[in-house]
Amino acid sequence: MSASAVFILDVKGKPLISRNYKGDVAMSEIEHFMPLLMQREEEGALAPLMSHGRVHFLWIKYSNLYLVATTLKNANASLVYSFLYKTVEVFSEYFKELEEESIRDNFVIVYELLDELMDFGFPQTTDSKILQEYITQQGNKLETGKSRVPPTVTNAVSWRSEGIKYKKNEVFIDVIESVNLLVNANGSVLLSEIVGTIKLKVFLSGMPELRLGLNDRVLFELTGLSGSKNKSVELEDVKFHQCVRLSRFDNDRTISFIPPDGDFELMSYRLSTQVKPLIWIESVIEKFSHSRVEIMVKAKGQFKKQSVANSVEISVPVPSDADSPRFKTSVGSAKYMPEKNVVIWSIKSFPGGKEYLMRAHFGLPSVEKEEVEGRPPIGVKFEIPYFTVSGIQVRYMKIIEKSGYQALPWVRYITQSGDYQLRTS
Amino acid sequence: MPYLGSEDEVKELKKALCNPHIQADRLRYRNVIQRVIRHMTQGSDMSGVFMEMVKASATIDIVQKKLVYLYMCTYAPLKPDLALLAINTLCKDCSDPNPMVRGLALRSMCSLRLPGVQEYIQQPVLNGLHDKASYVRRVAVLGCAKMHTLHGDSEVDGALVNELYSLLRDQDPIVVVNCLRSLEEILKQEGGVVINKPIAHHLLNRMSKLDQWGQAEVLNFLLRYQPRSEEELFDILNLLDSFLKSSSPGVVMGATKLFLILAKNFPHVQTDVLMQVKGTLLAACSSESRELCFAALCHVRQVLHSLPGHFSSHYKKFFCSYSEPHYIKLQKVEVLCELVNDENVQQVLEELRGYCTDVSADFAQAAIFAIGSIARTYTDQCVQILTELLGLRQEHITTVVVQTFRDLVWLCPQCTEAVCQALPGCEESIQDSEGKQALIWLLGVHGKRIPNAPYVLEDFVENVKSETFPAVKMELLTALLRLFLSRPAECQDMLGRLLYYCIEEEKDMAVRDRGLFYYRLLLAGIDEVKRILRSPQSDPSLRLLEDQAERPVNSWASDFNTLVPVYGKARWATISKCQRVERHGPELPNTASFATSGPLIPEENKERVQELPDSRALMLVPNHQLTAECFEKTWLSLKVAHQQVFPWQGAVHPDTLQMALQVVNIQTIAMNRAGAQPWKAYLSAQDDTGCLFLTELLLEPENLQMQISVKQNKARTETLNSFISVLETVIGTIGDIKS
Repeated sequence: MSASAVFILDVKGKPLISRNYKGDVAMSEIEHFMPLLMQREEEGALAPLMSHGRVHFLWIKYSNLYLVATTLKNANASLVYSFLYKTVEVFSEYFKELEEESIRDNFVIVYELLDELMDFGFPQTTDSKILQEYITQQGNKLETGKSRVPPTVTNAVSWRSEGIKYKKNEVFIDVIESVNLLVNANGSVLLSEIVGTIKLKVFLSGMPELRLGLNDRVLFELTGLSGSKNKSVELEDVKFHQCVRLSRFDNDRTISFIPPDGDFELMSYRLSTQVKPLIWIESVIEKFSHSRVEIMVKAKGQFKKQSVANSVEISVPVPSDADSPRFKTSVGSAKYMPEKNVVIWSIKSFPGGKEYLMRAHFGLPSVEKEEVEGRPPIGVKFEIPYFTVSGIQVRYMKIIEKSGYQALPWVRYITQSGDYQLRTS
Repeated sequence: MPYLGSEDEVKELKKALCNPHIQADRLRYRNVIQRVIRHMTQGSDMSGVFMEMVKASATIDIVQKKLVYLYMCTYAPLKPDLALLAINTLCKDCSDPNPMVRGLALRSMCSLRLPGVQEYIQQPVLNGLHDKASYVRRVAVLGCAKMHTLHGDSEVDGALVNELYSLLRDQDPIVVVNCLRSLEEILKQEGGVVINKPIAHHLLNRMSKLDQWGQAEVLNFLLRYQPRSEEELFDILNLLDSFLKSSSPGVVMGATKLFLILAKNFPHVQTDVLMQVKGTLLAACSSESRELCFAALCHVRQVLHSLPGHFSSHYKKFFCSYSEPHYIKLQKVEVLCELVNDENVQQVLEELRGYCTDVSADFAQAAIFAIGSIARTYTDQCVQILTELLGLRQEHITTVVVQTFRDLVWLCPQCTEAVCQALPGCEESIQDSEGKQALIWLLGVHGKRIPNAPYVLEDFVENVKSETFPAVKMELLTALLRLFLSRPAECQDMLGRLLYYCIEEEKDMAVRDRGLFYYRLLLAGIDEVKRILRSPQSDPSLRLLEDQAERPVNSWASDFNTLVPVYGKARWATISKCQRVERHGPELPNTASFATSGPLIPEENKERVQELPDSRALMLVPNHQLTAECFEKTWLSLKVAHQQVFPWQGAVHPDTLQMALQVVNIQTIAMNRAGAQPWKAYLSAQDDTGCLFLTELLLEPENLQMQISVKQNKARTETLNSFISVLETVIGTIGDIKS
């Protein structure tokens, strides 16, 4: 992969900031970008890859920004997109919200980051932890005298600096499972999958060596632990952070690694075993033309009674010309969001096995508007703490460092909604 | 201060930058510099304060330094003389005790893009290669490539290249990868960096230490390495196995490609690899990033071309979600119709039917076309769904359904009856040209079975004056004539009226000519008309509408993980063609001679090359053999009959070229190895009259041209021209594949 230049454009296509890495593409080429985008959109042939003359534009859209990479080469598209997303990630870590305003306010840091992220069109250091050592948040503070040389500048393990020190050595392990669900209008489940991630927050001194034990079925079978007592989980598509020694995992399923400092995602996995949808929705949306819409939504918690789903948000679509909303809910509160054309029904805590009801009534204008509307689905957001759908468990986390300190691992489990949609008829 | 014009602004900033009080106060000084950069970012010309900015670079404040260097890199090409003044400061900074400053200075210096700057940067770059800080080495290594680009077409510095090769053993992973990238740029003319066995093995061992960008890059370079033995090949594959499961989609794609290419002689290994990455590709298809998802879907389609059933059990993954952008939905629909099988056809059709009534007309039409293509295998179910859609009486739906029917009746004649029953009533909701043509065609060809066909056509005839599309009128003429043959009584009168209109009143010449043609044909007698119009209708040789056969993995493996599948092969072909024209068109004075050297053959079309010798006077003898000695003797005794240059880029792959030449019966006598410079090849061919064509190909490294000189033992301009155009086609094709 090699990018000739990277541009950040506002929503109208005006360059906010750009960096010419290679100098083989005229910077004015970007002027073709927006007209091209509009033209493609009109033709219904918009794609994240467009060309003008010799130049290829690979672009992503993020909030109200376009990030565009130009290249002359027959490059590797996935890698370019990954790089652009990485850029977004890095920027977001520096100024929380990445949008037009924050780019304008922080153009000095943006320039500095663009300088370190890529050189001559090739990605260089993209790890935000390490970048933060080069480029400090307080860009405005004056560094006097000789500045400290970041240790990673001369380091062998690229993801961790030497000489990290903490008073209290701790590791926080978050096991997060997201449920993706797609249900047809007739109530049949089209797609149900669990995407799990294990995230670590590492506050450990020195160069610690970590080993993580899971109730992995393959491991249990290897070690003969697969008795009736130990429940195990079969993981699919396991992917690890770069720090994990893949060869060891392939040999004996041991997950061993030297972690980066701070937050990072250690691994992800997928399970396509069909599970009962955790929150089931039944809905009746009756539309009486020229007069009213009546909506009835029933939500049922189909998980263990001991567990509780928190911050449940059910968004139900309503026609864009609806007015004068009235709601009745058996629990929680409903709110009309005219800008999104939905009713949001929020329930703070939703115990398993319970069933709740919401009714909504809207007026419709007597003059119908002309354009046809699509049929947006009902979306559900929720979080169930202390619970994993797959039943995955952290059995142990061993931490060994040559100075021999004691470190505490903390584990937290949570299940949340991913892309959770139920189509409406 | 927006009320100030840009000129006043420059003046004011200049004053501020010169103000000793501001210079003394670091914070204020930096603020002024930031304002300059802000204006620069907004696109105003700030080159006026160049001198002052150069002075500001002498500071210990690293952020200020960065800003000033950024400024200098932007405006240096506008102020080359002044920029040279800054070199001093930069050189000094290159030996700063702080590695960050050294790296920064070196990077900026190499990015100045000034003519004549090379002599100043050479030494700092060379020093940088041996810096103790890896940060500086990374910069210096890429600096070598930048330096080379600045030189333009200059010769390659052998010592520097050796230095870079040895730095491949550096302990810093990014330095290693940068070395590869840098060498690739520097040795571009010679085919790029050479990956021999020690280098390949060294890189393989370092793989796990690299970040995702490095891994992807190295995987790409390893494509060039040809393992010596099968054993070595499988060792490499084993070593790389884990990268098929990487968390970075770029690395997974890179690894997949490497596997597919390395295992090109082991189809079962290729299938195995595609099985292994199935999960990853699927996961990427539901990636949160739409663009990655899009790229993955394009590659899934590529894989499906060779392994049609590959993703069938995961068909639900390709169901569209409401909020997805258009380009993803369209790709998913395409994928869905390619993975249909007996088990999932019901569900897939059910899902597609839902899309047909989507608010977006484009998406709905794509879904209908998809059902149409599934109908080639599962005719009855699909025709039923399509017929139901007609009941909606929506213009944009009906027109596409009718077009689908037209194609379907041709490919699956068994559904004709059902289609004919569904047609009546459609005419009311079709307005566009394509839809009308399809309907009229159907009425003409199968009008026998549609009771009201003549009356529908009659309506069209009545309104022919207000018809705006000539194509519709053409179709109407043909259809009516066809229907007249089967139902003469009902059609005779209106056929007469239509012919009269077309001949007497129509302004479009094509339509008028068609009308005249049919009129004269009718004069020849009804039997003659029947003989001509009722020739076999479903000609099996007309396979344009049929699916393309499965393609072997090797046919697309080299395109995998490039932009080709993401654009789509057809679009890529047009794009790269345009690019070639743009690249070579203006530079080459002798482009015109291409046109005169014989009709141009579409360069993408390799099969056509084979037919080429038959299509003209030239016939090259298939098994022509000439010994090297004989060639040499003849070559020296003859004069050059023709000399020409063809556009060319990158390195030569002798094997590919030799193979392609063999296809057109040109024998290769001798050929340099890849990467030699200048690169030469000697070719020979003989036509059926015994005329010999001896050819020399010469590729000078700095030119983007391949020079050819042809000698002939009998002077015949005609065959010579033909021969040259054959040669041009082959070279064009090969060059095309590589670009």
